[in-house]
Amino acid sequence: MRAKRVASLTAYRQPGAAEWAAMAPQDIALTATPLSMQPTPYIQQSWDGKPYGQTPALKAACVHDGHEWALRVTWQGVSGMGHDFPDALAVALPVKGKPVLALMGQPDAPIHMLRWQANKEKLRIISATGIGKSIDGAAVKCGVQARAVDNEWQVVFTRVLGHGAGVAPLLAGKKTGIGFALWRGANDERAGIKAFSIDWIELALDA
Amino acid sequence: MSKRQVAMVMDLNKCLGCQTCTVACKRLWTKREGMSHMYWNTVNTQPGTGTPHNWEQMGGGFKDGMAQKGHRPSVEEFGKAWDFNHKEVAFGGKPDAVLAPKGDNPGRGPNWDEDIGGGDYPNSHYFYLPRICNHCTHPACQEACPRKAISKREDNGIVLIDEDHCNGYRFCQEACPYKKIYYNELEEVSQKCIFCFPRIDEGVTTACSRQCPGRVRFVGYLDDPEGPIHKLVHQHKVALPLHAEYGTQPNVFYVPPLSPPRIDDEGNATDEARIPTEYLISLFGPRVPEVLEKIKHERERSQRGETSELMDLLISRKWLDMFGPFTKHPREVATSQIKFYKKPPGPGDARPAPQGGQDPLGRPGVVLKGERP
Repeated sequence: MRAKRVASLTAYRQPGAAEWAAMAPQDIALTATPLSMQPTPYIQQSWDGKPYGQTPALKAACVHDGHEWALRVTWQGVSGMGHDFPDALAVALPVKGKPVLALMGQPDAPIHMLRWQANKEKLRIISATGIGKSIDGAAVKCGVQARAVDNEWQVVFTRVLGHGAGVAPLLAGKKTGIGFALWRGANDERAGIKAFSIDWIELALDA
Repeated sequence: MSKRQVAMVMDLNKCLGCQTCTVACKRLWTKREGMSHMYWNTVNTQPGTGTPHNWEQMGGGFKDGMAQKGHRPSVEEFGKAWDFNHKEVAFGGKPDAVLAPKGDNPGRGPNWDEDIGGGDYPNSHYFYLPRICNHCTHPACQEACPRKAISKREDNGIVLIDEDHCNGYRFCQEACPYKKIYYNELEEVSQKCIFCFPRIDEGVTTACSRQCPGRVRFVGYLDDPEGPIHKLVHQHKVALPLHAEYGTQPNVFYVPPLSPPRIDDEGNATDEARIPTEYLISLFGPRVPEVLEKIKHERERSQRGETSELMDLLISRKWLDMFGPFTKHPREVATSQIKFYKKPPGPGDARPAPQGGQDPLGRPGVVLKGERP
């Protein structure tokens, strides 16, 4: 995925901006996290035979202006109101190296995540060092705008470029990896019951 | 595995259904926002649907050692206390206004089927079943949590949820077969009975047991041969777990209730108990007949003037003997002072103005530290 450099991010902050429509988003294939990787016997047992993580793909495009990065993600499946768990999407960036995405990082190679969920106005910043080992992550200036159009979510994440202790590097002219995790609230999806993007996707930011 | 296990025995022959335990717990632990629907301690009428309604049909626990899928109870299933139109009736200026719940569909309250029970006259029957978290030896909630946010204390076996670590996934609610875990929608964490561990740590028994006017609840360590729990569970073997078949090894035990004789069609007393023994077996397991027989036998001995250690224990003449090592008064261990408010004397009132911290019973010179239930 390429993050093209643009003069200003102002218009790109809106998920319905014409600027996004003019870009060709990348298809990101998703798959359900394996049942055998669910961390407790209860979860394995109770979800055995029940479909989850069925959203096949999402579309993503991004830009940056030298100071800030904007990522627009869209996918089909809006749960609506009245469910115990919200629709949610997490964007994963490696702090160091490329730990196995499916294992949610490792102690010496955490994953820095920005998590949006439909019932919150702000992102949650998470640092994950393994399955079930996520904590609040290092603070970084970020934001989100989301809207549901018919059955499609359109979500724009923004984050400042740069790096720091515990903050995944995002630097103009550099490459890193990006991953996604998607929860469908109407299906009670939460924790490891989700769809994810299998492996890191290369993310190259224009100089 | 915990080194010791603190446990509770509830003698169902003595429960009045007064809900003092429920209020004591509510006042102490579940007053924060998001907790209004929470009753970590409940007392329901049996036979009945309980709290949450029909919890015994909601799954969870273990079967042959395998975790079983369970239902996650909703707030509506737990039952919310009704809001009434008190202001309209009392101050609304409408003589015809009647007291009624607010809203078109107030739902079923948490103690919806109180005192309904089972059977038909003259054999109608019921008893009260108080319930708290069972602080199980094999907690299904702990095993289900992907965050490892639930732990069982090594020193006393109390099962606790670390709210800082809980992400509100609520697998614990599904897995607990007793459905004694609640969800705080505002704080986005699961919450439940903590067996009053801050009191237990200081040698004070739980609020529900200390406040019980019926002297229903015994508290102590399971392995303490001098304590009431060991005596009732292991020595006299009259206290039984609720739904042991759920496979979690609960650490709250019940002395099953005796009942008057069943009346036959001619109006004569029979040898059968009015509360069907089969029903009690469905709750407390196959040892119920043996336990009921033993209590009956010991009761008869006591009535004849013979000594019965079991009856003495169950009657609990010495209140503090019910609480094993947890006999301290909350006042002895309180770390903060509570100031008791008294209305200042009005004109012509000869009483002196009270000072903050004055004894609410009016004992001169007594200043209380924070008494809690």
